[in-house]
Amino acid sequence: MGVKEPYISRALAGCPGWPGDSSRRDFLSAAAAVLVGLGLPSTGVAGGGQHGTGGSGQRVVVVIFGGVRRAETFSPEGIENIPHLSGDMLRRALLFADTRNEGVTAHFNAISSILTGNWQRVDDWGKVAPATPTLFEFFRKQLRVAQSDTWMIASNKALTSLIGASSASQYGPSYGANVVFPKQLLVAAVVNALRAGRTGNLADRARIETELQAMLEAGNYEGLGWNVFDGVTNLDPRVRSTIESAISNFVRSGGPTSGDELTYMVSREVMRKFSPRLLVIIFSDVEVAHFGSYALHVAGIRTGDRLAYQVWRDIEADPEYKGKTTMFILPEFGRDPDGSATNGFFNHRGDSESTRSTWMMALGTAVEKPGVIERPVRHVDLCPTLAGLLGCPRMELQGIPISEFRV
Amino acid sequence: MRCGQSPPITTLKAERTQVNIAAHDKFPEQLQKALDQGLLKRLPPTFLPFTRQQLHDWDYLFPYERQSVMHLLLFLASLNQAESTTLFREVFQLEEKMGVRNWQFSTEEQTILNASLLARSPYYQDWRKAVQKVFDAAEEHAARADTAKASRHRFVLLVIPRNLPLDSTTVWRRWQSVGRVVKLDGTEAGGSQSPAQALLATPRGKPRDGLLDIVTRRPGSTVADCWILDAGHELVESVLASEPIEPGSYPATLLSYERLDGFREQFSHEINAMQKDLSAADAVYDRLRKVDVTPWCPPEVAGVPAIREYLRLLYLSGNGALIFGNSFVEWGASEALRRARPDFLVARFGVRSKPKPFTSVAVFENPDQINPLPAVDDLPGSALDAQELALYVWLAASRYDEYRTNTACVCLAEGLSEAYVIAPPEFDLFREAQPVPLDPFRAVVAEWLS
Repeated sequence: MGVKEPYISRALAGCPGWPGDSSRRDFLSAAAAVLVGLGLPSTGVAGGGQHGTGGSGQRVVVVIFGGVRRAETFSPEGIENIPHLSGDMLRRALLFADTRNEGVTAHFNAISSILTGNWQRVDDWGKVAPATPTLFEFFRKQLRVAQSDTWMIASNKALTSLIGASSASQYGPSYGANVVFPKQLLVAAVVNALRAGRTGNLADRARIETELQAMLEAGNYEGLGWNVFDGVTNLDPRVRSTIESAISNFVRSGGPTSGDELTYMVSREVMRKFSPRLLVIIFSDVEVAHFGSYALHVAGIRTGDRLAYQVWRDIEADPEYKGKTTMFILPEFGRDPDGSATNGFFNHRGDSESTRSTWMMALGTAVEKPGVIERPVRHVDLCPTLAGLLGCPRMELQGIPISEFRV
Repeated sequence: MRCGQSPPITTLKAERTQVNIAAHDKFPEQLQKALDQGLLKRLPPTFLPFTRQQLHDWDYLFPYERQSVMHLLLFLASLNQAESTTLFREVFQLEEKMGVRNWQFSTEEQTILNASLLARSPYYQDWRKAVQKVFDAAEEHAARADTAKASRHRFVLLVIPRNLPLDSTTVWRRWQSVGRVVKLDGTEAGGSQSPAQALLATPRGKPRDGLLDIVTRRPGSTVADCWILDAGHELVESVLASEPIEPGSYPATLLSYERLDGFREQFSHEINAMQKDLSAADAVYDRLRKVDVTPWCPPEVAGVPAIREYLRLLYLSGNGALIFGNSFVEWGASEALRRARPDFLVARFGVRSKPKPFTSVAVFENPDQINPLPAVDDLPGSALDAQELALYVWLAASRYDEYRTNTACVCLAEGLSEAYVIAPPEFDLFREAQPVPLDPFRAVVAEWLS
């Protein structure tokens, strides 16, 4: 893909430890040379920790950002915003340089297309479930996997619990994932405190924690868009302690307090307590772009970069995951180009390369050989690829398994 | 009124009261005739919401918009049946493929549901291209007839205020060398007056030589030809204070983000209470389209129906106009350029606060009312926002023919005493010795506009 090649090559040329070579052929040769000998993560695919009854024993973690352009990430100007992705992570990763969303570039449809392997065209506001089965359902039904093994933890307010399972007959919610929206808990706690006139609590970390715990105790999980072990009014005690622990870390750490930070904290606790075999994490701080602050959008990219790296480090540090996990990182889509009638980075409605073409990084067990793949892959190709890694039988989908992975 | 005549807006300030681009009780004769002959029945269903809404809002359209609607509809009316069928064939075919007739699609007005239905159709992008072809054909037809106003000089001033920190080595990088850097001498602005305020002020002893005076004296000028958008209030208030202005008679469209606090708060409240549901959203939007906004407006807006309606639509169209002053300025300027094609536009950016811990996740507007932590200015972040959005205003202008050849655009970095200038070679600022003091700078712009 000639259009993107210079960006990617030039971008990578600026990466730490990356050869400073701008021609594609030389770049790829040099990249291969550098990557040989870096030492790959353990490639063993066997091992314990299987919760369900079937499958390959491999685990998959998918981290999805909202809309992020190549210009602010893998480009000469953008590389500074993704020091982890373009540094440590890239050296051991397969980078798919042209990863395409050829469907509806809106949140619910983009995520559900990634999860189902078919381009979805349902209601953008999450009032209708995906029309064809999600990976969660394939995995759980075909391999008799427990619900505790499949989680989606998301910041994005445009999603609803219906993202966890399709409306397809033979499948549906009984095979769906646990779905948690930590940011919604925070939003609800803030709104609740405002309604009750407790604005003073919102400036105090200890009191904020009380507000969040109170929200957790209130029990309206359906109202929060959550769907966890079918508990509408009562949370499974293990889940409850998991969320409480995450809230406590989030509030008391003294660190940043964005929605993505809380989503990461909850994801980390879920990994520790449940070790799900299929975990999807969705970050969305970058979506502040809709309000037109470029600086806050870029800050969201940096946060996503840091948190994705944290997730990878957690994987590497956890014996339940280390050596048997493949992690994928990709944006839902790009954003509109500068100068477009749709107001550039604010939105993601255009039919442009800037909106449709982004990238995907994979690292971990299934990555045989790090490098840059320039041929285009599509978002719908991810589902059958992941299904293959998890040991699901082949399915009839619009997506085609990506061949570069070791299954 | 006959076709082709301008709306009744005169050049005299006293009469400009009627920015009232309103005051029409019927369409121009030729347009009315075309409508009476059933023009709308020939249009594809997906064309109707836009067309009907433009006709419905005729009283609130800017002169340029009226002219555009006229061009489009009279062009369509001029086609015989075979030509019309050919022009719309692709749109009709796509509507058939999309199954529009089975949709719950409003042909009366543009709705969120309409937009959602179109956007998730697999043929959406093809449909957009087909519709664009029709508009292009109409514009091409119109361009042959109307070049007078398009050819006159225009001026766009983008202001990054002096309190925003800028890096002189990178500040103009995103402009990709389309223009030139000009060093300025801003010392004469002095005291509390910013360089932008000094540029817009009437020169001492020359009461009719201010830039706004010059623009308003142009033949056929209306307040829709002259815009000042301010992320704060200083620039607008300095114009309001600079000369005695009779109520209702303003030299320009004056929009200050801070002076519009009340308007914004009312809208934010409604939109934030909205349920996440298409029909609920359309209900809220429908209410906000009808509510009388006059009591929420400062005087320079309250008496100008077209500007009140422009603001209503601006806030309803998102893009952060309700949330951040800089987004308001950028999106407001972009919409002004698209809808009014002004001769003179000033966009002054400003400072936003840092998001407050925890609450910023949930609520962006009125952070000071809901979180007792003191607001903290985000100066570096605001500077980055302003640099990006200033470029966006210019990119928005450069989408239109009117601004591609006869326009001087100056992005003023007050803190650096520098300007980035995109202009034709005959723009005399390039010939001034640098650093250019503000008086000669103003004189160059005055000459350009005269």
